[in-house]
Amino acid sequence: MTDTAPPRRAKLELLVRHDGDDSGFDIRLIGSAAAWVKMRPQRVPAEHFELAEVTSRVDRQRSFILKNTQTERFLIVSESERFLWDQMDGRASVQDIATAYVLRFGQFDFELIPGLIKKLQRAQLLTLTPASRLRYALARHRKRRLLRTAETALTALERINISSRRVQPVFRRLYRWGGLMLFTPAAAVVCMLLAVVGLVAGVRLWRESDVAAGFGAHPLLAILIVKLLFILTLAAHQVVHGLALVHYGRRVREFGFTFLHGFVPTFYVDVTDIFMASRRARVVTAVSGTLVHLVIGALWFMIALRASNGGFVQAFAAASGMLQWQAFVVALYPFCFVEMDGYHVLVDLLGVPTLKHDAIAYVKSLVKGVPAPVGSRRQAGLLVGYVALSVMSVVAFLAFNVWIIIHATT
Amino acid sequence: MTSATEIATFLKTVRLFSEFADAELLAFATRLDERTLKKGQILFREADHGDEMFVVRVGTVIISKVVSGRVEQVLARAMPGDFFGEMSLFDRSPRSATIQADTDVALLVLDRDNLNLLIDVDPRAAAAFFQSLVSVFIERLRASGELVAEITRWGLEATGLDMESR
Repeated sequence: MTDTAPPRRAKLELLVRHDGDDSGFDIRLIGSAAAWVKMRPQRVPAEHFELAEVTSRVDRQRSFILKNTQTERFLIVSESERFLWDQMDGRASVQDIATAYVLRFGQFDFELIPGLIKKLQRAQLLTLTPASRLRYALARHRKRRLLRTAETALTALERINISSRRVQPVFRRLYRWGGLMLFTPAAAVVCMLLAVVGLVAGVRLWRESDVAAGFGAHPLLAILIVKLLFILTLAAHQVVHGLALVHYGRRVREFGFTFLHGFVPTFYVDVTDIFMASRRARVVTAVSGTLVHLVIGALWFMIALRASNGGFVQAFAAASGMLQWQAFVVALYPFCFVEMDGYHVLVDLLGVPTLKHDAIAYVKSLVKGVPAPVGSRRQAGLLVGYVALSVMSVVAFLAFNVWIIIHATT
Repeated sequence: MTSATEIATFLKTVRLFSEFADAELLAFATRLDERTLKKGQILFREADHGDEMFVVRVGTVIISKVVSGRVEQVLARAMPGDFFGEMSLFDRSPRSATIQADTDVALLVLDRDNLNLLIDVDPRAAAAFFQSLVSVFIERLRASGELVAEITRWGLEATGLDMESR
């Protein structure tokens, strides 16, 4: 046996200038491996391939034959490779796909994804131009000046990414300096008490106060400030996720701020290391971040209740409290087509990491009158149930907000 | 202000001037200007016009080329004894890269007039200068080839493209 060193990964040395500061810059050494895990492989369009299932008569093992209808090339893929193929929609990065694989199969083979990508590229079943649907739509209509401007603006905003990969020591210190208190039974009790008190305060505000009047002549400005303040609490949400990782002895890989899809300002934390911990750890990590909104919302409602009736402070605090609690519900409620914390907990518990994707595809096939094959009636029920519940929930959420606006303005 | 003797002593350690006699170095040193940069200061940007070349006497500069927006690729670092900016000196084209001080830097400046003067008054020294320049160019050409190969390898590894079995 020979002990040869692994091949050295290529690196690029980049100089990134600070915005608006000529002399300031950072030097970043980017390894090809770091770029590879961020790559979003995209399979060729559905009309360019066919997939057929074959079952071995010997061991009843299922495998699949992928055919590129453009080049007439065939490829045999295993069941796990077929799962990975389904994930390659141009939106999921290699890192996301690996995470989904671990959730589905409970293990990971580091050679599996690179091997499959090579096979797919050889069969010309992958394209290398993944992007969001919005960006596709904008690119298609690039001739229109307004849309070209929008695309340029989105590209510029997307480039804004303030992040650090050396955050683990910071999170460790935060944890030692008090963060550990968040993961004690006492914190859970305080959280529940605040939720009850906040709920009572919210109900009393609703019944007894004229909240909307407090915004006076500048309601839009006030709502904008409420929203800006809310964005800051998103940072707290992500910090608590990071603290949960430290609590379970895992590593926070990155923390930062960016514009999601080019227009949604958001903070983020890379919690992928939690997939190496227990399911309980994953659930606690997901839920703990959302509880920030529950607690802050309750505090805002209490402030609003104590503020003078009909005043600006009361209106501001009540609007902030409402926004925080809506964020709590949206983040934790899994049936709303949004893949947030609650959704991740649900798919983890069910062991169906591609629930949303599968459910939408299955319901679409039902609508077209050609039901896609599913494993069992129970699974079909789950997929239909997810879509039905999500549709009802989104409608109810919109109706609730319309009702609040009507109630507040009349 | 550094004296001509000190500059000449420094130039003796620079490969470009290794074939110069002491007297030639001393005479040449008097024709060089000095320029200093604070850390982070930009000497010139890609596409700027210029007709000077520079020898680093103290410190380090970063030579970079714009990739997109605020991101530039670091092509090389020039350290004491290294030189840069000679391309625009010879072919009068715009600067091909941006030069920024990575530390506090002291540079020696050679402009076109002084280069022509060197050719006129001391052809032997000028020939030695150009001979050294060519050997450095060859080294840089090799380094550029290595850089292109590294970038290509980076692209292949980052996209997982398997060219061997195509």
